[in-house]
Amino acid sequence: MARVITITSGKGGVGKTTTTANLGTALAMQGSRVAVLDADIGLRNLDVVMGLENRIVYDLVDVVEGRARLRQALIKDKRLPELCLLPAAQTRDKEAVTPEQMVELTNQLRAEFDFILVDSPAGIEGGFRNAIAGADEVIIVTTPEVSAVRDADRIVGLVEASEKGPPSLIVNRIKPKLVNRGEMLSVEDVLELLAINLIGIVPDDETIVISTNRGEAAVYDQQSAAGRAFLHIARRLRGEEVPFPVLQENQGVLERLFGMFGRRRA
Amino acid sequence: MGFFENLFGRRERSSTVAKERLARVLVDDRYKLTPEMKEQMKIDIAEVLSRYLPSVDPEQIEVAILRGEPNDTLKADIPLRRSGE
Repeated sequence: MARVITITSGKGGVGKTTTTANLGTALAMQGSRVAVLDADIGLRNLDVVMGLENRIVYDLVDVVEGRARLRQALIKDKRLPELCLLPAAQTRDKEAVTPEQMVELTNQLRAEFDFILVDSPAGIEGGFRNAIAGADEVIIVTTPEVSAVRDADRIVGLVEASEKGPPSLIVNRIKPKLVNRGEMLSVEDVLELLAINLIGIVPDDETIVISTNRGEAAVYDQQSAAGRAFLHIARRLRGEEVPFPVLQENQGVLERLFGMFGRRRA
Repeated sequence: MGFFENLFGRRERSSTVAKERLARVLVDDRYKLTPEMKEQMKIDIAEVLSRYLPSVDPEQIEVAILRGEPNDTLKADIPLRRSGE
């Protein structure tokens, strides 16, 4: 059965779009049929991150407003035939789409795909509401910084209020050296503060800059630590148990992490 | 950590500071508790307590909500001036 998963964060610039592009690519590499959907209307970006910006003819708003059929607007990935992008409109704003229309759109996609990943805009207003409207599950991306974690907690509250089930967490751009020196929040710290399930830890990695420059997902790059982390997350999404390598050194830490699983906050 | 670092004149590590600050701000966000409301709460607590105990100073009161399972807890530190002092 198809799963609609929205990737969101509250704060901008923490890596939602990079995460969506890489998870979508990784899932397709692993054999799933994937549609990635850019819900950031007016600030389209998923297309450039995936290197598909030159292929756009129609967008999400064209589909919603009936100027194009869904199948016409979906752009096939350059390498993976089972990966498609539905781009956002660039010249419209968030009010162009309603939550009901987003539900209908994602429901249409369910028939053709295993995973529908929705890249949410930053913020907690209309664009975010649209992005989670059709979701079965929500993944929250944060970085180990006070502002990002605070905003992530706001999102946790909103997701729980929307009765989507407990969201899961990706801690992005972790710098192990800085964590070891005690000058960066650890994954454990973030988990303790947010009290939600962990689904991925992505190290800070300059290969992301390079792959984004080229419009190629980092998961293709064998040298990319971040790419490997995204491949792991994709496998977890597909139901595999993949241990968290960074934290394995310390049994106590790992046990505490798994202790968090399935735990819901009051 | 705090003790030894203070002993050698080093500052607390920034991740500890970040975590403590976040713990406080997240819980206040969750309960929609603004700094203003906290100040008012202290004044109200002092007012109620002054019916039973003399000389509770609202300025001395500290309130914080602590996260916990299964319940969060409101912790209030209310110093009392000893009678006769």
